[in-house]
Amino acid sequence: MLQAANLACARGGRAVLQGVSLALRPGEVLGVLGANGAGKSTLLAALAGELAPASGAVQLDGRPLAQWSAQALARRRAVLPQAPALAFDLEVDEVVRMGAYPFAELAPGPLADLAEHALELADAAHLAGRRHASLSGGEQQRVQFARVLVQLLACRAEGEYRALLLDEPTASLDPRHQITLLRAVSRLARAHGVAALVVLHDVNLAAAWCDHIALLAGGRLVGLDAPASVLTAAHLRAVYGLDAHVLEHPEQPGQPLVLFCAPPG
Amino acid sequence: MTDRARMLRRRPLLALPLLTAALGAHAAAPAAPRRVVSLGGVVTEIVHALGADDRLVGVDQSSLHPPAARALPQVGYFRSFAVEGVLSLRPDLVLASDQAGPPHALQQLRAAGVAVVMVASAPEVPALEQSIDTVAAALALDADGLARARELRRQLDAATQPVAHASQPRVLILSSHTGRLQAAGEGSAPHALLTLAGGINAFTQPGYKAISAEAVAAARPDAILTSTLSIHAAGGVAAFAAQPGVAMTPAGRAQRVIVLDDLLLLGFGPRLPQALEQVRAGLFGAAAARPS
Amino acid sequence: MASPATPRRRRPGRAAVLAALGTALLVLALAAASNGAMRIPFSRLPALMFGAGTGAEDALWRNVLLQVRLPRVLLAIVVGTGLAVSGAAMQALFRNPLAEPGLIGVSLGGALGAVAAIVLGAPGLAVIAPSAFAGSLAATLLAYRLGGRSTGVAGVLLAGVAINALCAAVIGLFTWQANDAQLRSLTFWNLGSLAAASWPLVAALAPWVAALSLLLLRDWRAMNALLLGEREAQHLGFALAALRRRLVVLVALLVGPLVAVTGTIGFVGLVVPHLVRLTLGADHRALLPASLLVGAIALTLADWLARIVAVPSEVPIGIITSLVGGPFLLWLLARRGTA
Repeated sequence: MLQAANLACARGGRAVLQGVSLALRPGEVLGVLGANGAGKSTLLAALAGELAPASGAVQLDGRPLAQWSAQALARRRAVLPQAPALAFDLEVDEVVRMGAYPFAELAPGPLADLAEHALELADAAHLAGRRHASLSGGEQQRVQFARVLVQLLACRAEGEYRALLLDEPTASLDPRHQITLLRAVSRLARAHGVAALVVLHDVNLAAAWCDHIALLAGGRLVGLDAPASVLTAAHLRAVYGLDAHVLEHPEQPGQPLVLFCAPPG
Repeated sequence: MTDRARMLRRRPLLALPLLTAALGAHAAAPAAPRRVVSLGGVVTEIVHALGADDRLVGVDQSSLHPPAARALPQVGYFRSFAVEGVLSLRPDLVLASDQAGPPHALQQLRAAGVAVVMVASAPEVPALEQSIDTVAAALALDADGLARARELRRQLDAATQPVAHASQPRVLILSSHTGRLQAAGEGSAPHALLTLAGGINAFTQPGYKAISAEAVAAARPDAILTSTLSIHAAGGVAAFAAQPGVAMTPAGRAQRVIVLDDLLLLGFGPRLPQALEQVRAGLFGAAAARPS
Repeated sequence: MASPATPRRRRPGRAAVLAALGTALLVLALAAASNGAMRIPFSRLPALMFGAGTGAEDALWRNVLLQVRLPRVLLAIVVGTGLAVSGAAMQALFRNPLAEPGLIGVSLGGALGAVAAIVLGAPGLAVIAPSAFAGSLAATLLAYRLGGRSTGVAGVLLAGVAINALCAAVIGLFTWQANDAQLRSLTFWNLGSLAAASWPLVAALAPWVAALSLLLLRDWRAMNALLLGEREAQHLGFALAALRRRLVVLVALLVGPLVAVTGTIGFVGLVVPHLVRLTLGADHRALLPASLLVGAIALTLADWLARIVAVPSEVPIGIITSLVGGPFLLWLLARRGTA
């Protein structure tokens, strides 16, 4: 299991995270919310193994990430970047298949099947055969998601722990595709037992799709609990500096609906 | 007695290059070589001076004199010539300046069975005389040719006799093609020419170096030796003498500028007597130019 | 919603393309070996190659064919291969189609070594080549050490630019001090030439270039992953620092000896991978082997041209690659736009 214990991180000499402890449980989606600069991206970077902790530890299967080789780590966790980038143009199929690079043992036949399946899950099946540069930002994001799915599911033994980290994946998507993507993540968690962490800006999206939400403010965890419990007006004020009404979602019983109030003046 | 034996008796020096030619030739042609490739401007001039240019089938890029040589097939610059190009001319002799190269290419010529004779190129009179002898021997000249060789040597000996003069003028050897002045110093061909003519080089660094206008003025040369190309580039002798730095010198003020053709100035070859005559005329007046 | 679909372009299979390129290379090599300043009748060629023929003419032709031309054609293949595959690796590492091996200091470092040898010591390949190789390795090492401090490849790039500037300055110093003969040697070295080809040289370089090229080819997945960005390549399991070091070292070891032997031959490392990418796509699984072959083809062709356009003289090959490479790239870009 991928977990952080009393994690503290610094960037450029400044403490960005302090005393953060959380675990990515299999089969669950953990949302991370916070204002700009609260430390969300730093947290994701530390969990992905990019950033070494200043103190505390990030461990996978009980071993600190620093002890994992890049390839071994890639076989257990996948990261969806915030902004899809591709230096030279490739075909969509080529991009999706890159997800299997950590798994050199995967034969071309099963890889092709997996790639097709991943494109369907990402609602990008109709984009197969297109060139990456000819796609819109949202379409490129979905193709990258398909790649990440390939990495996540390739050569996976039954019940093997895999973690998925998504860095603000909905930023360039329209509402329909936001929902599609988060639904796919949720299904992955339920059906395949994948552990997912999603950094989000939209509180209500998080409330709708995450099993637990971690609230970050000033580098510290303000709350970590189910949406209904952690999304309180007090917490939201601490995190966003705004007053908010927390209502019951009209369609989903038990799911909070947050309405922020514009500050006076 | 054969012509060759007579030649050997009169000119002991000739024996040495003959030996060199025999050792150097991979497959020495028993008859006189009739298809000759010359690598080096001075080498070509020597061949011409010996009256053998009808035997030339190819020259290098720097062989610009005589003008007829420019019409011959050209195999590249002698320091980096084309091997296959030379071989395609089917030479039975390659006369190469000792600066010709790369060494690997000369080896390839020899490996292909072509006689390659190296010709000394240092700007010194003994080296020049030796190269004339080397070329004459390699070409296996007939009586006419040998007579020309002798005459050439005689002219050289006469022209390079040191002559006493009342004064030794300070001279700067300048070139200026692109607006930047360059001077020639020790080790260069023009320097050797000047020294033989009886002048003193006011430039003390070796080789060709950039010289500032200030340094030209500080050198205070009595005369300036330059080439036609530099005069053209400046727009005439008056304009050349009026250049900054040059204008302040005794040479510039008196417009005492000796102009030689570029090839004559920069090469140290069989036309040395001509060059010496022109330089001496410029330095000491027409009467002093003729060798006694 | 979804953007309008562009028509699917059928790409020929990788194996078919490589086979076609390989065949083209073979045919070209044979043609280039059969043709040059010396007129050798086509009908005599097979006999000469296999040792028959006893006339004096035959001996000369055989000598030209086997000792002068064949090593040159082989050297062209070896050098073209090495330069092109290194260029492809550099373009992947820097994620930039304008990258080429010279960026990390290999070319100018090699030039500095050669110039130093020419001006301080004796000109002649035996002295120049080791000196040039040492220079290119030293420059690359320095660029890597200085640039490696910062994360990301931009550090190495900037350090390479600085090292190149320094090398150029010192080369300028040597040039200023050089005498006439040395200047001429310098100029010719800078224009590039395959004239140093000989069987011992080819026998030494070919296995070296083949081995290092194969090592580069092995990293095709890593280079593809780099296209996603350095962070994403790391996420996909490629240890960035080690990868960067490996690619830089391989390119330096591959290009250094080539520059040392042939002087500066420009454009091949830049244009060939770019050309291949424009026609075959950026997937390095095809790009790398195709660049190998196209590089060999390009340089064999360039050397052939160099040997026949100014018969009996030769044009330095660097001039041909620049004169042909530049406009060709422009034309290709005008037709297709960037990849």
